[in-house]
Amino acid sequence: MSKRSRSGRSDAPEASRRNFLKGATIAGAAALTTPVAANTAISGFPEPRPKAAPPGPRLAAADSMPPLADPVSQTSSGGDFMVDVFKTLDIDYLAMNCASSFRGLHEAVINHGGNAKPEILTCPHEEIAVHMGQGYAKMAGKPLAMICHGVVGLQHATMAMYNAWCDRVPVIVMGGNIIEANKRAPGAEWPHSAIDPAALTRDFVKWDDQPVSLQHFAESTVRAYKIATTPPMAPVMLSLDAELQENPIENRDALRIPKLVKATPPQGDDAALGELAKMLVTADNPVIICDRMARTPAGMPRLVELAETLQCAVIDNYGRMNFPSRHPLNQSFRRSILGQADVILALEVNDLWGTLSDFHDRIVRSAQPRYKKDAKIVTLGTRGLYLKANYQDFGRYQEVDLDIAGDAEASLPSLTEQVKRLVDESRKAAFDARGKKLAAAKLATVEQAKSDATIAWDASPITTARLCAELYSQIKDEDWSLAGTSIRLTWPHRLWNFDKPHRWNGASGGGGVGYTLPASLGAALANRDKGRLTVAIGGDGDFMFVPGTLWTAAHHKIPLLYIVHNNRAYHQEYMYLQAMAARHRRGITTTDIGTTLKDPFIDYATIAKGFGVYGEGPISDPGELAPALKRAIAMVKSGQPALLDVVMDQR
Amino acid sequence: MTRQFWRVLGIAFIATGFATSMVVARADDEPAGDPVNGKRVYLADGCFECHGRAGQGGQFNYQTPALAKTALPVESFVAFLREAPNDMPSFSASVLTDKDAADIHAFLQTLPGPRPVKDIRQLDP
Repeated sequence: MSKRSRSGRSDAPEASRRNFLKGATIAGAAALTTPVAANTAISGFPEPRPKAAPPGPRLAAADSMPPLADPVSQTSSGGDFMVDVFKTLDIDYLAMNCASSFRGLHEAVINHGGNAKPEILTCPHEEIAVHMGQGYAKMAGKPLAMICHGVVGLQHATMAMYNAWCDRVPVIVMGGNIIEANKRAPGAEWPHSAIDPAALTRDFVKWDDQPVSLQHFAESTVRAYKIATTPPMAPVMLSLDAELQENPIENRDALRIPKLVKATPPQGDDAALGELAKMLVTADNPVIICDRMARTPAGMPRLVELAETLQCAVIDNYGRMNFPSRHPLNQSFRRSILGQADVILALEVNDLWGTLSDFHDRIVRSAQPRYKKDAKIVTLGTRGLYLKANYQDFGRYQEVDLDIAGDAEASLPSLTEQVKRLVDESRKAAFDARGKKLAAAKLATVEQAKSDATIAWDASPITTARLCAELYSQIKDEDWSLAGTSIRLTWPHRLWNFDKPHRWNGASGGGGVGYTLPASLGAALANRDKGRLTVAIGGDGDFMFVPGTLWTAAHHKIPLLYIVHNNRAYHQEYMYLQAMAARHRRGITTTDIGTTLKDPFIDYATIAKGFGVYGEGPISDPGELAPALKRAIAMVKSGQPALLDVVMDQR
Repeated sequence: MTRQFWRVLGIAFIATGFATSMVVARADDEPAGDPVNGKRVYLADGCFECHGRAGQGGQFNYQTPALAKTALPVESFVAFLREAPNDMPSFSASVLTDKDAADIHAFLQTLPGPRPVKDIRQLDP
């Protein structure tokens, strides 16, 4: 039995808009059939052009006025009820590119909902809308919703949905659809409809549904929100029937919006956490690795408390703002310490095998563990609680000694408490000595980074180190937030003091290009109401996938300083191609073909201006950088987005 | 020089690490090659892609070392290029001659190395 037949919904109202148009079309076609048929003969001689027949009574009636039984207005719509559901969920924004398959809901958001909770974010591409949602959710701590054509819009959205899936970020994705075939108009509505639109995305959403009644919609939307925001978090997908959005509500009083009660994040088993506490306290060199650990602003201080209790090293994979960058125990740029670790605790680490292995991308690929054979490895996280088979973002299987299923942030207080109970004076003295050594090493690492940053300080193209140093020197006294960087740009984390939960927003997740600009804008949107200064440094290749994001920034007045890391190349691929040519002993001077963005160079500042955004550049002279940054930051502080095009060396 | 010799030199270089090699060259390590041609080859052959146009280093799948003022002797430098470790591509003599490799080494010696941090306000707030 199909969803359609299960719905029990009749074809009423009989004289609906689509039926009225269909009737008119049939009547018109019938009136024209006979004379047109006479003109189909193939002849070498000109034939007299037949005159159109006078309109018959049916066509005349259809042209003049609709049947009396055909209503022309309605006092409610399913879309109104859908908006009421969104309001109960406190969804602030609906990102979208307008499309007829959700025109009913679109109109209801504006005129029933007053374009508030949710407020529409006009995006020139569906990938932009979802990536904005990804960046927003990580900064705001709650999801926004996006809606698109369920077929042709969803296909645009998929790349961003996959990034959000890999990044474990909730986004409420919806797509318009026309479920019943007899309700579809000829033309675009057929290729824009599907039996199961969500099938396209089922490998990288946590849950999906296609409600066939308004009550079904209410329950599925509340369920979708709950599922998306329960760790491990992920996007969800709802297909919304156009008739359901557009038609009158038959009995509003019979509809009920369920209450949302969010699930408490799963906490690790107390006994297992106790075993882990013993391992950590008795270890000589425990190391904590964290990745997508901090879900909320509480995450970072909880990890700091555990690390300071143990005075142990912390290595941050930067999936979230997990640990202060200048903290004496932050050893993220001293990964060789893994070789001395006797206990390794991985908190919400996405690719643990990759983190613990030295992998060599050579003709014969090989890898060696970075840890001692007798080191004990413990995982604490939700990564393994929800996996799918097709896409391989779960990484290679890593053997461990203790695997605690549970949300790390939720489990840390219990773990830290158990650790504290086990620490006696002798262990505390050992911890203090360990902490002092780590602090000294950290200091040396920071000083080394500063020294490294001086190399080629006055070079043109400008070094990434100089850009990052110049930018930080101008924002460090503001309440800044770095919402994204180009691939593997490590200078901010080497040089800047990331000391608050909103200082950093993680990365794309799936490595799908086109993330940094829209996700940074989403984060900037979340930061706007907090008065924070949002900055981002994005690659030029990444920018070129989604330049229209700038228009959304201008239209919605979202303050964001976006610096284009203009190395005029898809640089990671440039380096890979160079390695291939060298391996094959040929053509090492021609690897710029297909990997570079030159002939002509792209003028990003002019593009920005075209979208209504303040733009400066290209800036190649390092001496011009500081004044340009000052002007752009002033623009952002006034509430506007700004773009600087800085011609830089690779990383 | 035998292949084994180069291998030993290469391994020795790996052991010391590129990062620690970035110190001021000794007086007896004066460049013997042609730095002008070295710069041309360094840019044409793509060395800059990973190590920066000014030899400042960068990032590939890991941190790529700074080469400005490398302390590595030219023979070791050439040997390293022929059989590079990890993800660093190896450059055979058929695409990079010993002469061009030595010239690159000479060019690297002309690049300014690190400066005192205290001289740069943005790094020493």
